[in-house]
Amino acid sequence: MAVSDNSKESAHIRPKEQFDFFHDERVRSVFYQLLTIATVGLAAWYLISNTAQNLEARGMQTGFGFLNVAAGFDSYFKLIPNEAGVGTYGRIFIIGILNTLYVSFLAIIFSTILGFFIGVLRLSQNWLVSRVALAYVEIFRNTPFLIQVIFWYIGVFSLLPKVRDSIDLSGGAELLLLNNRGLYMPWPIPGDLFWLTGAALIIAIIAVVILKRWAQNRQDKTGKIFPTFIPSAAFLIFLPGTVYILTGMPLGWDMPQLEGFNFVGGATLPPSFVTLLVALSIYHASYTAEMVRAGILSVNKGQYDAAHSIGLRGGRVMSLVIIPQAMPAIVPPMISNWMSTIKNSSLAIAIGYPDLVSLFMQTSLNQAGYAIELVGMTMAFYMFVSLLISWLLNIYNKRVQLVER
Amino acid sequence: MATIKTVATPAIAPPLSETSVLGWMRKNLFSSAFNTLLTFFTVYIIYISVKGLWVWGIADAVWVAENRRECFAINTDGACWAGIIAWLDNIFYGRYPREELWRINLGLFFLLMWMVPLWLPRVKAKISIGMTTVFLYPFLGGYLFAGSEKGIFMQIMLTTAIVCLLANTIHSIIGVFSGRSLPEFLSSLSGRKKVSDTTQRNIFLGLLALSFVVIYVWQMSWNLERVPWTKWGGLFLTLVIAGIGIASALPGGIILALGRRSRMPVIRVLSTAFIELFRSVPIITVLFMATTMFPLFMPQGFVLNKLVQVIIAVCLFNAAYMAETVRGGLQTIPKGQFEGAHTIGLGYWQTMGLIVMPQALKHMIPNIVGNFISLLKDTTLVSIIGLFDVLGMLRSISKDLPWLGLHKEPLVFGAILFFLICFTMSKYSRHLEAKLSTDHHN
Repeated sequence: MAVSDNSKESAHIRPKEQFDFFHDERVRSVFYQLLTIATVGLAAWYLISNTAQNLEARGMQTGFGFLNVAAGFDSYFKLIPNEAGVGTYGRIFIIGILNTLYVSFLAIIFSTILGFFIGVLRLSQNWLVSRVALAYVEIFRNTPFLIQVIFWYIGVFSLLPKVRDSIDLSGGAELLLLNNRGLYMPWPIPGDLFWLTGAALIIAIIAVVILKRWAQNRQDKTGKIFPTFIPSAAFLIFLPGTVYILTGMPLGWDMPQLEGFNFVGGATLPPSFVTLLVALSIYHASYTAEMVRAGILSVNKGQYDAAHSIGLRGGRVMSLVIIPQAMPAIVPPMISNWMSTIKNSSLAIAIGYPDLVSLFMQTSLNQAGYAIELVGMTMAFYMFVSLLISWLLNIYNKRVQLVER
Repeated sequence: MATIKTVATPAIAPPLSETSVLGWMRKNLFSSAFNTLLTFFTVYIIYISVKGLWVWGIADAVWVAENRRECFAINTDGACWAGIIAWLDNIFYGRYPREELWRINLGLFFLLMWMVPLWLPRVKAKISIGMTTVFLYPFLGGYLFAGSEKGIFMQIMLTTAIVCLLANTIHSIIGVFSGRSLPEFLSSLSGRKKVSDTTQRNIFLGLLALSFVVIYVWQMSWNLERVPWTKWGGLFLTLVIAGIGIASALPGGIILALGRRSRMPVIRVLSTAFIELFRSVPIITVLFMATTMFPLFMPQGFVLNKLVQVIIAVCLFNAAYMAETVRGGLQTIPKGQFEGAHTIGLGYWQTMGLIVMPQALKHMIPNIVGNFISLLKDTTLVSIIGLFDVLGMLRSISKDLPWLGLHKEPLVFGAILFFLICFTMSKYSRHLEAKLSTDHHN
């Protein structure tokens, strides 16, 4: 009762709010915002008018029409066919994007695997091993990436032997050959009935997923654990394998063969590609390692004790208790690390790998001009990728937050 | 009957296995068969790599030679450090005129003099020292590095900077020895016990004005030859770009971060767009944008030189990154701090400047240092667009006739140089973080 009385009273006593134009927060807010818009607008107008004048004075053309004009050059490494003097600048743009994404994608996979490995070594009980892992992390994180890329290129991959003395990475089988022209490897040529093997593989994967679901359900209901690993592995190997043999092994391999002064056949990755891949993987693995370590350490020590006390053993403690709790701490920084892998692949320009920046912002810009359009398109691509990645990250974060109660 | 001991029982010494070297080794290196195997394997790997590096870098290396051919004549397997030694001046100072090198050294020495007091625990008024470093040192350093005729504005700023440096230095020396500030010390010289704050301030300001006049007259006779920016290079140029970058990134980042958290939608959207734009593109594209598009942005006839273009690009880029660091720091401040500040009647800027920022900055220190490290590393990219920073200089060694083809050693040297700088900084920031931490450790 007394409470309600009080509130009534205070509502009466409360003075009538006076509207003070100069000190009102809303008025000020609108004023500041208008001021900001005016300043930014004026600055933008100033820059744009200057640019327009400059373009006119220099007789430079604008517009995106040049994308349909044939480019007078070609990229020596490309995933889609192209020809100098025939392929347009638009096609060069796509080649650049594909080259950037290709090398970044592989680098992301390798750096994540290597990073997890180093991160686990960092946490090793063995003092020496964890120190060596620490040295790896510190060395690669504290030197500029550009120096590393150039070092790998000039100090390692340029010193590779000539074609005749190629290094055989497959130990005498002549499958993976490394020389100063690049990395040579066999390339599969699927035969007529090869799609059946592919179909069998898909069926096997679906079967494994169903099996896992069923095993999980059974464990939830009865508490009995059904070992799924061996049956799944058997499914995945035997079903496609049997189909492959029954259809008469319809897969040929195009092998690299030494003919004259160079290898013919198979697939080739140029030295600049291999260099960039190695450099990116090693550099970003050092960051991933620290994230993995920090993530695993972020799990409370009590969780280990509790997991042990309910009878779980080493591997299961990690896979069922620690890793699921560490993942929310590991994944967000790791995804931004992936983004910086894509961004850092632009240093390809220093070693001549034709990525987007090198093809579009350097070669095309020198050949065609159109500075604003070229710079804008290149930046727009990176922004698009970045937005896509942060969108995925948001989805992940929301899912993680829902799980956590 | 219960017996109560009034003296604590002395602790029993830990078992030998916990303290002795052998015990430590058993626990950390040979705890199981697998661990033992791992240890031996790692020792083998370390042995191989250290031995390889030792033989190449030190045992078989050539330190004194006239050119690369001579290096080969002495030893073909080792590194040819003679080339690095011959180019050492270029690596550090670029093509700066050799007889003017003292200017760079003096400038860096002044910077150190200005900043060392920030690390001395007994010196007071560190915030003013820090602020004057950021706002006044550029004039002193800029004049020393670039030289040329100075206008009236430059003369005034230069004199102010020197007066300030003098006052800072004397203040710090007094602070270290007596723990007092310079105005306090000055008034105590007059012999009287109690001096009011106003008198203290007046004495202090009077002395400052006097020294200002003296130095102003003195500096008019100085005449430094102009050194164009094209002659700047090496580690010096790298530090100039990174230094300006970090000094401007902090205020820029704070403003952008506050803008991103602002309640005014226009300001929020603009800040967010700026931050996200620069954070999502690689720095090399920003540098290319600077060199190709900035000339178009400028009014006709007005030419920005490449160094200024690069510095603007680095500042913009780094402000965006710093903004996210600051935002991260702001998020660590509990809401109660904002509410508390409002309760005692502080406005927005007072809340931010007096309550929030001082706490947030402490949390940010490791990340700010991390930002600086990555800025320093990223500065090497200016060599791609044709500035001769430390990497540009290192790479031109291999094009110098006597050292033609000397690629590996300069890169290794550059890597070691950067490693020393960056590793020291990151270690120091971790130490600082531990020192400043007021959290309760559990």
